[in-house]
Amino acid sequence: MPSEPRIPTEPTLDELSAYLDHELDDDARTRVADHVAGCADCQARLDGLRQTAYAIRALPMETPPRTFTIPAKTRESSSWVPVAGWIGGVAAAMLIIVVGVTHLPFQGPGGAASTGTISRSLAQGGAPAAGRAAPLGQSGAGTQMYDSQAASKAVLSNAATVSDPRSPSRMLTVSTDAASYSSTATMTVQLRLSGLPPSQTALVSLLLERNGFAVLLPAGSGPLDASGYRGNYPLANLALPNPVAGSYTLIAIEWLPDGNGELIARLPITIQG
Amino acid sequence: MDDRDLVGRARRGDPEAFTQLMMQYQVPLYNMALRMVGRPDDAADIAQEAFTRAWVKIRTLRDAPFKSWIFQIAANLCYDHFRRGRRYGEMPDEDTNKVVGLGILTPDPQERAEASERNRLVRESIEALDHDMRLAIILRDVNGMAYDEIAVVLHVPLGTVKSRIARARAQVQEHLQQYPDFFPSTREDANAE
Repeated sequence: MPSEPRIPTEPTLDELSAYLDHELDDDARTRVADHVAGCADCQARLDGLRQTAYAIRALPMETPPRTFTIPAKTRESSSWVPVAGWIGGVAAAMLIIVVGVTHLPFQGPGGAASTGTISRSLAQGGAPAAGRAAPLGQSGAGTQMYDSQAASKAVLSNAATVSDPRSPSRMLTVSTDAASYSSTATMTVQLRLSGLPPSQTALVSLLLERNGFAVLLPAGSGPLDASGYRGNYPLANLALPNPVAGSYTLIAIEWLPDGNGELIARLPITIQG
Repeated sequence: MDDRDLVGRARRGDPEAFTQLMMQYQVPLYNMALRMVGRPDDAADIAQEAFTRAWVKIRTLRDAPFKSWIFQIAANLCYDHFRRGRRYGEMPDEDTNKVVGLGILTPDPQERAEASERNRLVRESIEALDHDMRLAIILRDVNGMAYDEIAVVLHVPLGTVKSRIARARAQVQEHLQQYPDFFPSTREDANAE
């Protein structure tokens, strides 16, 4: 006499629910499926769970009643610190994000590659003597929008250039899209580096200074090319002193390799209230 | 650009990248909080606080997925909400102008009224769950998360996730079965799947 086909062990509630979600392994899924196929009670239990899940999933997704934002000055690393610590002998020992530009062979007109690759590194050093330093690149105070193509074009309208007296072809140019901004404007800053030997890494800092104090402008993750960097900085996001309005100096510092000092370009900037 | 790239940029202080992450997760995060705490303003406060904390702490996020991390922050804020003695707030009926998806909208006022009533009953049944089960079933059936993602958010083993979801569904089902018209055609729907 043939025996009745054996129905697999009755699945637990957890198994039935997980079966609905395709969250069982192959063996368990097969076992549950085989059992449910021959068990009206478990089929009904499964249907009930399925309908319940559908009812919850049918709840509408709602739009938030307001826009979410991030506070501009919550990141710890942006601060207004004495500029003396940044320039001169102490500065070289600071913790600083560096902008590395490594030259590659130029591929010629129409070549897909740019003239450089991008690299960033973190040079660890001592803290500045006065105040908390804001490491370039770690601050959330500014916003950077990068345009690698634009970065290699001509300098912006408001510009200052310095050259290395020991190697005049080595120059640093800092420029901005205006000399005067409202306190809510976005300042576009462009750096151009020239005369870099092949495979040279450029270490650059950007500061906005007033009356001996400065805030570091953050670098970001955007593209750089061999000839420069461009970043957009909403002034309202920078940790500037109150009152914000006043005469500032945008300072670009290119740290020369092997402890040979730095090139410092200074550009007057006015911020109006 | 995927989450990992955006997180990398945000960790370096790029608020634009973080804003993109916020844009991506604001609706699911808000809806998770909404189904947990009930009141839209409370849910928005929780979502906002979660994003603020995530922005401040983004540098501590290394290899973990942003999605699990931000939901974990928001989930903890939901628990804090109840620990402070706040209660589930009954939300007003959904304003269909604010609905962004998944809900079945129909121009028929009668059908809309019925759908609204069904949603109210579902919300009521979710509210009746304890916080652990409520969160698990919301993450699964509102947010569509996989069990392993939910385990990360809740900091519990996979088996616990499975159990909480199953028990939550059973309780919701039991609650809804009080209303005879709620599951009128269980077999037909199942067969039509």
